Amino acid sequence: MEKRTGSPYPKIDRPVLALVGVVLVISTAFFAWSDRQHDYRYYQYQFRQMVAEKFGADLAATTSSGIQQVWVPGLRRADRCTTCHVATNWKGFETAEEPWRTHPVEPLKAHPVETFGCSACHGGQGWAIDTAEAHGEVAHWEEPLLGEGLGESYSLVDNKKALMQMNCNICHRYERETAGADMINHAKKLVQDKGCRACHVVNGRGGTIGPDLTWIGDKAPEQYEYGRLSGQKTAFAWHVAHFKDPRALVQDTVMPNFHFSTRDAQALSMLVLSWKRAEFDVALYPGVARTDPQTAEERKAEEDMRTGPGGWFVQTGCFVCHSISVFGVKSPAQIGPDLSIAVEDVQARFGRTIDDFIREPTGTMSVVLSRQIILTPEQKQVAIEKLRQAFAEYQRLKAEGNAPSLSR
Amino acid sequence: MATIKGLLKRSPDTPEAPGVHPQALWSFRPRSDREAGDAIVSNLLLHWFPSKVYKPSLDWSYSFWLGTASAALFLLLVVSGLPLLMLYVPSVERAYQSVKDIEYVVTFGWWIRAVHRISAHLMVVAVALHLVRVFLTGAYKNGVGQGQCREWNWVIGVVMLLLTLFLSFTGYLLPWDQLAFWAVTVGTNIASSIPWIGPTVRELLIGGRTIEQATLIRFYVLHCIMLPGALGVLFAYHMWRVRKDGGLAKADHEAVLANQRPVPPVASKTYTLLGVARGTAPTVKVTSVEAPDLTVSAVPDLTRRAAIVVLATFALVSILASAIPSPLEEPANALVTPNPAKAPWYFLWLQEIVTDTTIRIGSFTINGAFLGGVILPGLLITLLTVWPWLDRSSALSTGRWFPKDRRTQNAMFLALVLLVLVFTVIGMFLRGPYWNFYWPWEAWPEIPARI
Repeated sequence: MEKRTGSPYPKIDRPVLALVGVVLVISTAFFAWSDRQHDYRYYQYQFRQMVAEKFGADLAATTSSGIQQVWVPGLRRADRCTTCHVATNWKGFETAEEPWRTHPVEPLKAHPVETFGCSACHGGQGWAIDTAEAHGEVAHWEEPLLGEGLGESYSLVDNKKALMQMNCNICHRYERETAGADMINHAKKLVQDKGCRACHVVNGRGGTIGPDLTWIGDKAPEQYEYGRLSGQKTAFAWHVAHFKDPRALVQDTVMPNFHFSTRDAQALSMLVLSWKRAEFDVALYPGVARTDPQTAEERKAEEDMRTGPGGWFVQTGCFVCHSISVFGVKSPAQIGPDLSIAVEDVQARFGRTIDDFIREPTGTMSVVLSRQIILTPEQKQVAIEKLRQAFAEYQRLKAEGNAPSLSR
Repeated sequence: MATIKGLLKRSPDTPEAPGVHPQALWSFRPRSDREAGDAIVSNLLLHWFPSKVYKPSLDWSYSFWLGTASAALFLLLVVSGLPLLMLYVPSVERAYQSVKDIEYVVTFGWWIRAVHRISAHLMVVAVALHLVRVFLTGAYKNGVGQGQCREWNWVIGVVMLLLTLFLSFTGYLLPWDQLAFWAVTVGTNIASSIPWIGPTVRELLIGGRTIEQATLIRFYVLHCIMLPGALGVLFAYHMWRVRKDGGLAKADHEAVLANQRPVPPVASKTYTLLGVARGTAPTVKVTSVEAPDLTVSAVPDLTRRAAIVVLATFALVSILASAIPSPLEEPANALVTPNPAKAPWYFLWLQEIVTDTTIRIGSFTINGAFLGGVILPGLLITLLTVWPWLDRSSALSTGRWFPKDRRTQNAMFLALVLLVLVFTVIGMFLRGPYWNFYWPWEAWPEIPARI
């Protein structure tokens, strides 16, 4: 048999190949090991001990092990939170530390975990099975856990856990009041009282001076202008600051400053951020309002205002800022003087007749009448006549001793 | 056991007959040159190797084995792609969620995805470096062998580089997150800047006018079937051409040297069909191609080195995949442009050039997309493709690092490569929101969050 020709390579190449093989084996072992590194193994083990201690070994054997998942097709969610939060549905661990604590029973009565999952209410990233990712404290996750920690970072007034109410309102948005959502309820009342709909469309109803707010919660954080906002650059922080002083954030805004308290501003911010689209199965919440109709009284009051003697002011939009009390028109914002006495008031303020002022307005009205409410000369003539009628009515009532009290 | 041993070991009764391979399996430790050569003919995977290779073409410092590494990465991509294929759902409603599941709950899912991602990035690097190596050593040139057609293998190599880039690009879209969506938006917008046909090209590419389900499925099929298929076929052809052109260009160079000194004629035989076709049948005198002191058997010396490169590539990818988490941004949102919106990193030099050639004079803007995104890369690819026919350097400079008569073109080429690298680095690390320039020590503006 021919001999094998000698080769210089095996001497070095064989050990190198062996080394590479060892590195490959080690790297394989490393990733296989790191794939098993999850905190839930410890939490489940620990919980099993706790149950064994409290209820005996038989029950301990029934605790969950491995990745758990609540699959909610109606909400398009797969929540794995119960993998670590093992005690959610167990009785007897109400005072235990998280993640071994029993979930409060009351909210679960109407929203069982098996039907609603977790993240629909709590936020966070239900897909994940490790703490940081699951609680949404990672880059590129826009829905962090709406818990106490986040509430504290915003210095929420009273209830630090209130941020979660935003998620209540995604399904309960058309209710006037929702049990357990005090901040949202408060904000909804403010929306009614302050007459936000005078300028903004909400759920299809309202004025068009301001932007439509129906789905404002969908506006991406990147789409806000943060140039004049100090502190946290978040949509929530923006809204709080904006509610407190609109002009401080948006210089040329016509939105009046309502001098909201911090609590008001936080409640309103939660409300508007909850106004976002969400896909869900309506069968999940029978009995919850699905439209936002006006009550009979509200409809009548609005109808009266629009068709009464002051109807022209309502239709033109003057009532957004000005009441015309003698005609029964009440402004939601009331940031301008009552127009019942405009004839006299304009003379006193500007030293000009009402005719002259309406034709050539100065100050704020020059801005409003050139941008928001644009009137033809004929319409201006109508305005002057209507204002004179209002003043005549005011003088008549005054003579009778029934003059309404006017905001100036 | 006896039967297996019988298969592996040559029985003393088996007569040695020419053309008969007495062993069912090949040997990793051949006892004779004949047995070493047998491996090449009796093994499907090994048949693309010659039975004897020139020692210098095994040098680490000549080829750096970049082609082998690229092929290993391609193999890794195919293998890691298969499980992903079963887990990923190519629909705009579910793609993102299925990637999240791969990342979080599928056993080894995060690692498989990371292996796929890291291999893809490394493959772009390896293929590009391979091209740089081949250019610098003039290995696209025909040396002294007969019937060589290296320039066409070079052209195939360029096409394979483009396919690699396109494979990576189509894979970019699949997770359907913001990174994917906007990288593809930037990429396809550059295509639409071609005059006349640009919008049509873009429409053809994304299957409509907006990046939607049609785009996803188009990219998915391209990514999983058409492009890897094309790359596989071209790879086979590329390898076949390497064999047909007489192996690595370095071997040519050595053959010339070998020819210059007298080598006693040795009775030898060839184990390749090529040899027979070229007339180097048994008993023909061999002067250079298989001079015994210049060559070694491909099995096991070449295969061992190939194994080292392939396994080392696997190990490197595995370690990187365990160490570097694969990003997944927010779900794709056509209404929100991340700021800055960046193309995949290997196209960033183009994006950078597009910006730099966009000239604003008052309110008048000359868009650089056509110049930077179409003309320039088009010109570069054309130049690369036709370069072997423009290159006038001597055949003797083939297969050598830094030969004198290639000095100018190598310097020009390196300058271009350096330019591309500089632009890539600027685009990757020094461009912030609104594509403004930021030094690494300058902080970018804070990215706002919802809550």
